[in-house]
Amino acid sequence: MNITQINLTIAQMLDYTTPILFAALCGVLSENAGVVNIGLDGIMRFGAFFGLVGAFFSHSPWIGLLLGIAIGCLVGALHAFITIRWNGDQTVAGTAVNVIAVGLMTYLLEFVFSTTGYSPQLQNYFGAQAYRVHLPFLAKIPLLGAFSNLSFMIWLGFICTVLMHVLLYHTVLGLRIRTCGENPKAATTLGINVSRVRWFAVVAGAALAGVGGAALSISSFSGFSDSMPNGVGFIGLAAMIFGKWTPFGALGAALLFGTGQIVQSIIAVTGIAPKLAPGLTLILPYVLTLAVLAGFVGRSIAPAADGLPYYKEQR
Amino acid sequence: MKALEVRNISKMFPGNLANDNISFSVERGEIFAIVGENGAGKSTLMNIIYGIYTASGGDLLVNEKEVKIRSVEDAIKLRMGMVHQEFMLIPRFTVTQNIVIGDEPHKGIFFDYGRAVREVRELSERVSLTVNASALVGDLPVGVQQRVEILKVLRRGAEILIFDEPTAVLTPEETVDLFVTMRKLQAEGKTILFISHKLKEVMEIANRIAVLRRGKLQGIVNKKDTNEEELARMMVGRNVVLEIPKVDVEVGAVAFACHDLHVRNKRGYEAVKGMTFDVHGGEIVGIAGVQGNGQDELVNAMIGFSHPVSGSMELNGKNMRMVTTAQLRKEGMSYITEDRARRGLVMPYTVRENSVMGQHLGKPFSKGIRMDYDKVGEFAEGKVKEYDIRPGDVYDTAGSLSGGNQQKLILARELSLPHNFLIASQPTRGLDVGATEFVYRKLLEEKKAGKAILLISLELSEILGLSDRILVMFEGRIVGETTPDKATEEALGLLMLGVGIDKKVQS
Repeated sequence: MNITQINLTIAQMLDYTTPILFAALCGVLSENAGVVNIGLDGIMRFGAFFGLVGAFFSHSPWIGLLLGIAIGCLVGALHAFITIRWNGDQTVAGTAVNVIAVGLMTYLLEFVFSTTGYSPQLQNYFGAQAYRVHLPFLAKIPLLGAFSNLSFMIWLGFICTVLMHVLLYHTVLGLRIRTCGENPKAATTLGINVSRVRWFAVVAGAALAGVGGAALSISSFSGFSDSMPNGVGFIGLAAMIFGKWTPFGALGAALLFGTGQIVQSIIAVTGIAPKLAPGLTLILPYVLTLAVLAGFVGRSIAPAADGLPYYKEQR
Repeated sequence: MKALEVRNISKMFPGNLANDNISFSVERGEIFAIVGENGAGKSTLMNIIYGIYTASGGDLLVNEKEVKIRSVEDAIKLRMGMVHQEFMLIPRFTVTQNIVIGDEPHKGIFFDYGRAVREVRELSERVSLTVNASALVGDLPVGVQQRVEILKVLRRGAEILIFDEPTAVLTPEETVDLFVTMRKLQAEGKTILFISHKLKEVMEIANRIAVLRRGKLQGIVNKKDTNEEELARMMVGRNVVLEIPKVDVEVGAVAFACHDLHVRNKRGYEAVKGMTFDVHGGEIVGIAGVQGNGQDELVNAMIGFSHPVSGSMELNGKNMRMVTTAQLRKEGMSYITEDRARRGLVMPYTVRENSVMGQHLGKPFSKGIRMDYDKVGEFAEGKVKEYDIRPGDVYDTAGSLSGGNQQKLILARELSLPHNFLIASQPTRGLDVGATEFVYRKLLEEKKAGKAILLISLELSEILGLSDRILVMFEGRIVGETTPDKATEEALGLLMLGVGIDKKVQS
């Protein structure tokens, strides 16, 4: 491989990484406040479809992105309503979101576009040359050249990682979010409104999952396919755990899983694939996820009150 | 000037009137104690005053003005602070983070950690409560964690401080430190509400004492006009025997014996460093010692949770060094634990299920793979009556019982198992006077029945009152042996701290 090929491969890897990263960041924010959001795969599916719809009808991916954020917030609010307002079981509520997303998006795809399987293709999407972030001064530098022509969404993923790190570890709100995830009763005794903080974390996190979905349909690809997000949300959850519930940890894990995806693509392209069963290479990223979790999950510690409903007058 | 007044406060929980029309007032600069048995409604009342629970009825006055406390924020604004029984701390956060959460020094939206550390250091110096501002709370001993809690409420400018059973988790030395702190706070004009069921401590520190029983206020007394016996009677509603009667029993054969026992702790360090002792039938052998001197590891080895590194261990003459808990129990070992939640009971299970645990396999409680719940129920009903376990419904979960009733349930189960050797590890920890008396009575009955009993306790009065022989444990070794009539609390206390080892404790 020459430099150009290597750069293209890295760029491709980052493209795979981005949706996983957004999903993982959703989990990081939500779970640091103590709410498990297993429904983030479903939220990504909402985000992918509505992102496409926004971009398709407005001919602008920006509108698609906004719609992805909006739908993320909306579905996140549903999850928050069930799990925070009514102390519903977080796993059940999240699973419901996943199941609803599967059926509803398939229906809406047919309803809006009268097609099955794939939506119409977009001309204006973040992956198109016109919408890429051009940094010509990087192009000549080996390896960094990969960063000279990336989709806006990839950069947004990096920016969100840094912002979330600052939020969690350097702001007042971040300290309070983590307090709610570690010991909500202590938070109450300090005059912190646990429900309000958890609402914020779940809804803002879900917005990120919505963006992650949009990153699939209006950045990595130029349309929605009915199989989206292909379990990326769950890989994101794995990345969150592997990354020990920290933003940069999640980034590192997402990069690892993104690499798994690219290795799978390379195997497919280089022609080793026909010798193997075709489906087998497709499972590579997932096998990698399992292997990593089996090896490392025991050593990472979740926030102490993660997944536990909280109500004040508990005895 | 009344700092706080409570007027006709009631609190209804589903099926339970936790506070029934309670009224009292607390003067500024006073240490006001509220005593009562477990489940008398002390904590509920404090949670109402502090805005965590909402009262079903009644009024609160702070500084002689009527106030509505709907949330903790309201309480904090009224300059109240609470040191909770279960610390409201986050082990993974630093001391500084724990102290400032909820009122953080900040620049804009950013948390100013540097300034927070400085503020905590200043505060800690000003009130002379020493803490390391940058240590992780999870690494600190319990007494220091409590200091962090106190600093937390002081930083919020609290004038009325509520201490909810603050000594329950402390060692005797830490308790002394805490009382010094409380007196100092009182001297600065702070008002202190001190919740406890330890009468000795209440008599030591309080100015006035309110007694609660089953949600009702029984009365308020001045410390100088009362004594422990009267308080105990008000709490329990009948006379309580705090003195432990002497029971003389013929000492029988050796039931348990260990020789040069060495046991490692979880981290792999040797915590029991060669202990040799035996326990005869009809005898209570007390092990005195400050917590963390190898008692836990000794018990773990004796109940088969861990295996000794070397040395011998015999029960009824049979080698028991490398056996399982099940084998030990079969040979006649019963075990009363201080850790009711993690070792004694399965909290979400019912009284019925908990009562037969350990003897649930085989007749009469099961046939093959099927549990015979009729038999189990019958057995549990009988035990509930015999041990007066309240409220008395065998379908209640163990977790819903008060600490004293949980301990009764453990006693009921362990003493109904066929046994001749009983390990009682801090059997009265966290219990009120009524339940403590019950445990003492049962232990003495066991002794009369000729059982061999090993009592491990941190309470010297308990060791001195119950034991026939006393072993003092220090840093994994027995550093002295004596009998209650020859030992004094002072001499034992010194030996427990490792002072004057090799000299006899006898006075």
